[in-house]
Amino acid sequence: MAVVETSPGRGEHPPAAELTRSITGRLLFFYVLGDVLGSGIYVLIGSVAGEVGGAFWIAFAAGVSVAAMTGLAYAELATKYPKAAGAALYVNKAFGNRALAFLVTVSFLSASFAAAGSLSIGFARYFLELWDVPPALLVALVFLAALTLINFIGITESVVINMLMTFVEISGLVIVIAIGVWYIATESPDFSRLVEFETSAANPIFAIVAGVALAFFAMTGFENVANVAEETIDPQRAFPRALIGGMVAAGVIYVLVAMVASLVVGSTDLAASDAALLEVVKADVIGLPLGFMTTLFAVIACIAITNTTLVAVVTQPRILYGMAREDVVPGVFAKLHPTRRSPWVGLIFSSLVIATLLVIGTLVVKAGGGIDLIARLATVTVVLLLFIYVLVIAAAFKLGGRDESEQTFRAPRALLGIGLVGNLVLLVYVVVDDPTSLIWCAGLIAVGGVLFALEYLFGRRNRPLSAERGDPSTTSTKEA
Amino acid sequence: MHVLVTTDGSRQSLTAARTFKGFADPTKISDISVIAVIRPLSSVAFADEISDRAELGDADLSFRAEAERAVATVAAEFEGWGPTVHARLRSGSAAGEIIKAAKQLHAGLIVIAAGGRGLGGGVLVGSTAQRVQHYAPCPVLVVRPQPRPNRPRRPRGNRPPNPRT
Repeated sequence: MAVVETSPGRGEHPPAAELTRSITGRLLFFYVLGDVLGSGIYVLIGSVAGEVGGAFWIAFAAGVSVAAMTGLAYAELATKYPKAAGAALYVNKAFGNRALAFLVTVSFLSASFAAAGSLSIGFARYFLELWDVPPALLVALVFLAALTLINFIGITESVVINMLMTFVEISGLVIVIAIGVWYIATESPDFSRLVEFETSAANPIFAIVAGVALAFFAMTGFENVANVAEETIDPQRAFPRALIGGMVAAGVIYVLVAMVASLVVGSTDLAASDAALLEVVKADVIGLPLGFMTTLFAVIACIAITNTTLVAVVTQPRILYGMAREDVVPGVFAKLHPTRRSPWVGLIFSSLVIATLLVIGTLVVKAGGGIDLIARLATVTVVLLLFIYVLVIAAAFKLGGRDESEQTFRAPRALLGIGLVGNLVLLVYVVVDDPTSLIWCAGLIAVGGVLFALEYLFGRRNRPLSAERGDPSTTSTKEA
Repeated sequence: MHVLVTTDGSRQSLTAARTFKGFADPTKISDISVIAVIRPLSSVAFADEISDRAELGDADLSFRAEAERAVATVAAEFEGWGPTVHARLRSGSAAGEIIKAAKQLHAGLIVIAAGGRGLGGGVLVGSTAQRVQHYAPCPVLVVRPQPRPNRPRRPRGNRPPNPRT
């Protein structure tokens, strides 16, 4: 982490110093991998298996491919515009439409809320394998509160902890793969399971699309990479490598894990389990004591989910902060705690939204309305993110040829095209298959709408408290 | 002597710089480095609360630009005072980077604010200031917040205090 310095002559005020960045390509790779890996496979593998049957690894392979093509668009745009705003910035640059950019930002925030909700429940289910006393909802809420506190204190800032957690995440999946290798070597596995479809859908294609739609949740998270875009060293080289490398690595691990789970446990048992990946360990294939292995794996799963949820919990107040700075949500979201320098209002607000989501979701499920809460919130996340991904790829097309330099990464247009079609097909499928998810999406986006309305109606009253804010001029500074 | 003046973009840090300037002898100081640390993995990597607000383009939130402006604002305090003023931006963990910078520059003094008032006064001590005090290779000037005015405020005093020059 080097320094750039400027030394003007005595008495002159210094010219704007150049920032030396601290995120290396390797750190970026682990950031992507850690963020992607935790989000889906531990939580959703059972649901995907239930949709497709033994061949559900195909759903993961297809989901990974579509997501990686989207990742190409992100890599291209992030190298052109290495700013923290991410998708909203790209869409705004491409279409110059502030309303659309606002919708993208709110959708992203909503997707992040839903993802954090789904992950919290996923955490609770693995946690209950360790200590089966408290109700799942309580565990999820305490988990959420703990993450909010951690973020407030600022523990999330440690690059080392981030890396360690990613290694733990990978180790869990390596255990699963190792069990699979052992199983193939010692027992006589029924490989025909890998091509079985046990599905309610008439056509295997639909079964796969349904599976992909869920498996897609496992690949989400990579878009958070924009968080550190500004701080990445040599972004033109680092971004395509880390982003695509991280996603491909995650994809390979996913497909292998899905195959193992299918072979060792079978899709029916996976679908019936609350903590599906744990079933692979519980199948007692290798000779190690089962109790120890179960505990170890449950702990690893909890850490993996924590890592990914943390990124979401860090991202939400950041989005709110950016929006407050643009005066589209109330100015309190731009307030930092004086000692901790964390945006505490945004933090508390975000955790309250997620908690509400969890409570409502649990009540709805209890009342017999709708599907499993994890799958429900995952679907909501996927719908919102697919919408964003479609726009981001479209923005990549629209911005092609603009702001390019020799180092700019240029994604292959054919792949972007396939990615665009893939995202659209999934989006249409999910919405047609599960229209209820749109109600949830609308509810979450309405939260953003309410904040905007509050700022619009009462924003002026806010302004004197934060006297500097709200000046739309983009140039003048005291120094200029 | 090379003095490291730190800023996290808070009014407290500007007050700290002014406090230091208020009693230090510029003829004994050769260089002043104003340093800001951007924390890429935190929710808000850097927030500038001391410069005249120049809103960036709507979707263009840039923590880097915020840090640059905050450093320039603090550096402007020492304009024409004597010592050569440097602007430095680092990225990573705040306390760690400040200590590293102090070592590399063979700093003779680090100036740092101890965090805000409000809840922070008693319960939460600024962890950056605390860690810098513990591990710095040189003396550290920790500028505490000014005492509160007598008028009792709401307990949620999260607003940055008005610095009095």
